[in-house]
Amino acid sequence: MKRALVTVAGLLLALVLTLAVFGVDVRQGLSLIAEGAFGDKFGVARTLVRATPLVLCGLGMAIAWRAGMYNIGGEGQYVLGGLAGAWVAKALVGPAPGLANPAVLIAAALGGALFAGLAGWLQVRRGVQVVISTILLNFTALQALSWAVRGPLQEPKGQLPLTERLPDTVMFQRFDPQTDLHAGVFVAVAAVVLTALLLWATKAGYLLRLVGQNPRVARANRVDVGRAQIGAMLVSGGLCGLAGGVDYLGLIGQVGDGFSQNWGFLAIPVALLGGLDPLGVLASGLYFGALMAGGEGLARFNQLGPTLVYVIQAVAVLGLVALNARSRPKPVVDDD
Amino acid sequence: MASLSVRSVSKRYGPVRALTDVSLEIRPGRVHAIVGENGAGKSTLVGVLAGFVTPDSGTVELDGRALPLGQPVAIREAGVDMVHQHFMLVPAFTVEENLALVRLGGLGGRLDAPELAREAVETAARLGWSIDPKAPTGGLPVGSQQRVEILKALAGDKRVVIFDEPSAVLAPDEVEDLLKVLRRLADEGKAVVLIAHKLSEVLAVADEVTVLRHGRVALSTERAQTDAEALATAMVGDSPGQRHAPPASGATTLPDRADRPSLTVSGLCAKGDRGNTALDGLDFTVRAGEVLGVGGVDGNGQVELAEVLAGVRPFTGRADWTPGRPRVGYIPQDRQSDGLALSMSVFDNALIAGLDDPSLTRGPFLRLGALRAWAQGLVDRFQVKTPNLAQPVGGLSGGNQQKVVVARTLATRPDLLVAVNPTRGLDLKASAFVHDQIAAAAEAGAAVVLVSTDMDELAALAHRTVYLSRGRFVDRLVGADA
Repeated sequence: MKRALVTVAGLLLALVLTLAVFGVDVRQGLSLIAEGAFGDKFGVARTLVRATPLVLCGLGMAIAWRAGMYNIGGEGQYVLGGLAGAWVAKALVGPAPGLANPAVLIAAALGGALFAGLAGWLQVRRGVQVVISTILLNFTALQALSWAVRGPLQEPKGQLPLTERLPDTVMFQRFDPQTDLHAGVFVAVAAVVLTALLLWATKAGYLLRLVGQNPRVARANRVDVGRAQIGAMLVSGGLCGLAGGVDYLGLIGQVGDGFSQNWGFLAIPVALLGGLDPLGVLASGLYFGALMAGGEGLARFNQLGPTLVYVIQAVAVLGLVALNARSRPKPVVDDD
Repeated sequence: MASLSVRSVSKRYGPVRALTDVSLEIRPGRVHAIVGENGAGKSTLVGVLAGFVTPDSGTVELDGRALPLGQPVAIREAGVDMVHQHFMLVPAFTVEENLALVRLGGLGGRLDAPELAREAVETAARLGWSIDPKAPTGGLPVGSQQRVEILKALAGDKRVVIFDEPSAVLAPDEVEDLLKVLRRLADEGKAVVLIAHKLSEVLAVADEVTVLRHGRVALSTERAQTDAEALATAMVGDSPGQRHAPPASGATTLPDRADRPSLTVSGLCAKGDRGNTALDGLDFTVRAGEVLGVGGVDGNGQVELAEVLAGVRPFTGRADWTPGRPRVGYIPQDRQSDGLALSMSVFDNALIAGLDDPSLTRGPFLRLGALRAWAQGLVDRFQVKTPNLAQPVGGLSGGNQQKVVVARTLATRPDLLVAVNPTRGLDLKASAFVHDQIAAAAEAGAAVVLVSTDMDELAALAHRTVYLSRGRFVDRLVGADA
């Protein structure tokens, strides 16, 4: 609890300092950001729409990192999720439009899961570190996307490197025709609840945490460490892929070269600042979603706008590292 | 004349007084043992003498000249050096190169390892040791590595040599040899400081004994004027409590009760982590209610045997439990690396033992309320001193950490209990507690395999003992007098 308060205070401080360093009038800057993020229904919608992939990918990172699998491939898994969704959509929209929406979500989650699971398998069975393989697989995913939208998944006219636009009936429902806010936000909320349950109230979640903290203890207790690690990667990639599927169904209904906006990378600090805890990830995802939405408002008046989120994330992660270094658990009894 | 005089040394770590007003005289030509329970201040005192710890107050003088406290290099140059409990050797270097390390000049100096190591190699010859200077250090047996460490400490003209729990890693016959070396160094006129856990070694070699308790000198005496009981009393402050009584009539076997459940092992072979042959055809039987002791020098297959029995290492041959399948409890050798996830809570560390209990789980889900009550029950029953269940286990004392491991292992009421050095590094009270628990588990019907390098422990608990040497059983340790 105390830690959460320190994090919140630190994040606000980081925001104020960043504005000041970049020569923005702090009061004016804060009010522009607040207005852009919450000022009206458009702001709120922007914040929630941006928070959705951040939260989903952030949850994915939290699960993998808890298991000691340093997944850096959220970006590739998000992209592959969108790609798998688009592929299933192309097959189903004609024959079974009623099934297309859930099928796209399932395919997206599966695509991301298998992609991350491959990296997990490589580490467990072949000794290839996930940190390295997932970074490299990001490029593989982007190349696969680039090829697919110029080849088998390209829109029928064959002019643009994009998939065919989904019909509105398949897309997520919009709450208000004037904003982008879509039903996909509920997927994110449900994912928060389910991952929290997984981590804290199931055997699998406990073993995943134990393997992350000390795999030798797990092994000495006859736990299949590799299985837990691959399992964590499957869930992690599944959540990132799901984020890709949700954005595909919620925003423009098309997949193209610019499909991902670095969500998979932005999610890493989101997960860290959220303490690798699902509720914390929800809070930090909302914070950065709001910053992104608000930063766009700021961008109309100041060049800082678009990069604001990156600067704050960097400052905040550095602050977190300092905080962790200071708060080692104190011994109860001094042992000689 | 006193060689090393410690005068009123005090050191605090936050609220903990590690040393309070400690004074002692360490004389040349004598072996001075310093004993005490975990947390008594031994390590802090050694740290002060070697320069790793700067005391808050007090002085240390070598032949009337003040030692530069807190400066390890200057202290070493003044003639005080230390043989560390955990070897400070570069495994990939040859013996010669390790010996040369302590004599290196500046960065620009020329490296002529044979020349720099010459004196140490001569010392080895003088002590009657045959050590190949060209051998890679990492491949040597533990006892030989310690000799290299001792040779390093003797480099130059050392007046005082400190041995920090040197026997912890050795087998009994190696210990005997080590004690001879301590004696010999003292006879050559050096002051020898021996930090020790085991009173039998202290009584065998020391000329003087200082007992630390709670950071103070509890007793300082000539060896001739004391005995094991007096030292133990000074260490714990009262009678150390009955050490666990050996099973009826010592090392005899139980009456053969062939009807009891038992583990029968035949032709057991297994490989070590480096693909080496660790176990080479073992045959034995251990019955419910029996404690089988497995002794021997570390690194002869003990850990591999324990892991095979615990079901975490592949093997060939047979290991059959009749009847049915046993619940296996495993107390691994190193609680900090294999026993506990130090950053996780006491609750989470206990939880691993509750996963298979149908009253504590529901399908894939944990019954958190029931689990908390269960974990609290373990903490109470095994007297784990912890503020609450959420306390990270790494913050507990060594004894309480081990209690968590023992509590959770015995909580499953194992049919087969495998324990490796279960009291290593624990003080007398904690050791006695762990011994009582293991004996009670056997009495309650567990078949126990106790792997230990401590002969006292095997004598106290085992109904019969076999010894491992290069992955095979031998009748007794050559040279062991236990």
